[in-house]
Amino acid sequence: METISLFVKSVFVDNMIFAYFLGMCSFLAVSKNVKTSAGLGIAVIFVLGITLPINYLLNKYILTPGALIWLSPSLADIDLSFLSFIIFIAVIASFTQLVEMIVEKFSPSLYSSLGIFLPLIAVNCAILGASLFMQEKAFATLGEATVYGLGSGFGWFIAIVSIAAIREKITYSNVPKALQGLGITFIISGLMAIAFMSFMGIKF
Amino acid sequence: MAMDKKIFTTPILKSNPITVLVLGICSSLAVTVKLEPALVMAVSVTIVTGLSSFLISLIRKTIPNRIRIIVQLVVVAMFVILIQQILKAYAYDVSKQLSVYVGLIITNCIIMGRIEAFGLNEKPLPSLVDGLANGLGYGLILVIVAFIRELFGSGTLLGIQVIPQSFYEAGYMNNGLFIMPPMALILIGCFIWIQRIFQKEESK
Amino acid sequence: MNTNKNSYTIIYATILVVVVAALLAIVSLGLKDRQQENIQVEKQMNILGSANLGKDVKNVSDKNSYIKEEFSKYVKEAFVINANGEVIAKDSTDIVKSKAFGIEPSAQFDIMRKIEQGNTSYRDKLELPIFICYTPEGEKLIILSCYGSGLWGPIWGFISLKDDFQTISGALFDHASETPGLGGEIVTDKFRSQFIGKIVMQDNNIVPIKIVKGGIKDAKHEVDALSGATITSVAVQTMIENWLKVYEPFLEKQK
Repeated sequence: METISLFVKSVFVDNMIFAYFLGMCSFLAVSKNVKTSAGLGIAVIFVLGITLPINYLLNKYILTPGALIWLSPSLADIDLSFLSFIIFIAVIASFTQLVEMIVEKFSPSLYSSLGIFLPLIAVNCAILGASLFMQEKAFATLGEATVYGLGSGFGWFIAIVSIAAIREKITYSNVPKALQGLGITFIISGLMAIAFMSFMGIKF
Repeated sequence: MAMDKKIFTTPILKSNPITVLVLGICSSLAVTVKLEPALVMAVSVTIVTGLSSFLISLIRKTIPNRIRIIVQLVVVAMFVILIQQILKAYAYDVSKQLSVYVGLIITNCIIMGRIEAFGLNEKPLPSLVDGLANGLGYGLILVIVAFIRELFGSGTLLGIQVIPQSFYEAGYMNNGLFIMPPMALILIGCFIWIQRIFQKEESK
Repeated sequence: MNTNKNSYTIIYATILVVVVAALLAIVSLGLKDRQQENIQVEKQMNILGSANLGKDVKNVSDKNSYIKEEFSKYVKEAFVINANGEVIAKDSTDIVKSKAFGIEPSAQFDIMRKIEQGNTSYRDKLELPIFICYTPEGEKLIILSCYGSGLWGPIWGFISLKDDFQTISGALFDHASETPGLGGEIVTDKFRSQFIGKIVMQDNNIVPIKIVKGGIKDAKHEVDALSGATITSVAVQTMIENWLKVYEPFLEKQK
């Protein structure tokens, strides 16, 4: 039950875009049509679902103060938490690079539809953000961390697909000239964020 | 020298990284609820953009192309960790307020964007100036948003009450919506709108 | 120079990593003491705050030494108690170095959750800190710790009781990431001061404090909720109730 609650919470309440503004850049740049944004959304879910458990393990067994105790009791005083940013970003960057290479080699068709997004993801704040939030929320188990990663990714996916759908429609509307494009997208995102606020406090 | 000046002023006004290039919105809008963290964030981002652009430009000829992105990320992450450690030691209260958002400077698209577009091709000194200027242009928007949100949302500036008590007694109330995340998005949308109106007149 | 060769790439990466790691390690070691001190001072300030002391902190230039001095002047004893309310450690010399001060409420909160889920073997692991503070007016205050989860992240605080062990003399709350201006208002004096004088024990039973919306009816047990922050308000109420429950055996014994 708690798992479902955590998933729903990370999708709707702690939505990466509407509550934390994470991954805004690609959210705005790639949301011009539904198809490409769905592609990017899936790539984000995929990368989050894999890098978050990896970073969780790294955090638990290497980075937190005293975490190296499993190597030898004499290492109990070592605190490597200052390295966490660099390790998380290295995991994310190398993972996306790895996936890109694998996909390119084994499935050129998938690569042509997904591949271009992978380098973008390395600098997508939502990915690093999820890892940092994971560290702050101090999840108890690997499962919880994975669920959180998938949930955040899914929340991001929903956000980008829905804004893309609205943007496709809005090209037919009569928006003031200076507001067209970016300006109106920002304001729509703001309105959507207000709508998402109503999910606050959902509990199972 | 004239050249340097142009490098410096363009990003702040004409091609502001947030409102024109739409870079780096991700990690930082959440810190614009109050002016103080926004100021610290603006300074931190400026320092990181400047220094990492400088350093990358210094070693640009030695970087192996295949691991270019990772090298850039490592350099940026290094500066960000330095800032985080210094904040924790000398400005503990602020570092608490910024929490994970300090780490998210790493994935701030402005930094990577400037390194890719400028630092990798130009000499160190212009790169430094370009980085600093972009950081400032970014910080400017951040501070304006924070100013408006704190003034209307909490009636304070830098934590000091500026809206007189008599206003409240006469029935004035703080606008709670300004504190909520969506308002930051809507505000930026309006900035872009205003800026585009003026720029259009300029080009005529 | 061919920068695309495999060997060059690998050597380059290695050197880069070593240099960066070494630099960061040096900085982190150099600043570590100061950071630790900040964290400790923060905790001391919170403990003092729950006893309504240390109020001049905004007017002094050297915050850290002011807080440390005030803390050593007023907070004189620290206990650790177990789930049965028995004192298992006692310290009255250097409180900052005492076992009670070093206890992380977050870790105890995890244990409490496990006990709640029916994992009773964790009961033996529970360790609760208690600080005794003597105010300048000569009053003896018993300071309890608390910790819970708010809307976005953890919330925590300290509650001081008068030495009848049932009347709240002061409370202090803090949070990691509640909404500024809404849930974040739990840190304000306006919210905290409402707790002063509330009764938490009656006839040897815990009477949880209720945080209610729209006007209080029972002045002894109720405080006003924060407007627009229902969830954080409920979280504070739950937090206090949970922790009073684990402190209950100890409080009963003092009667």
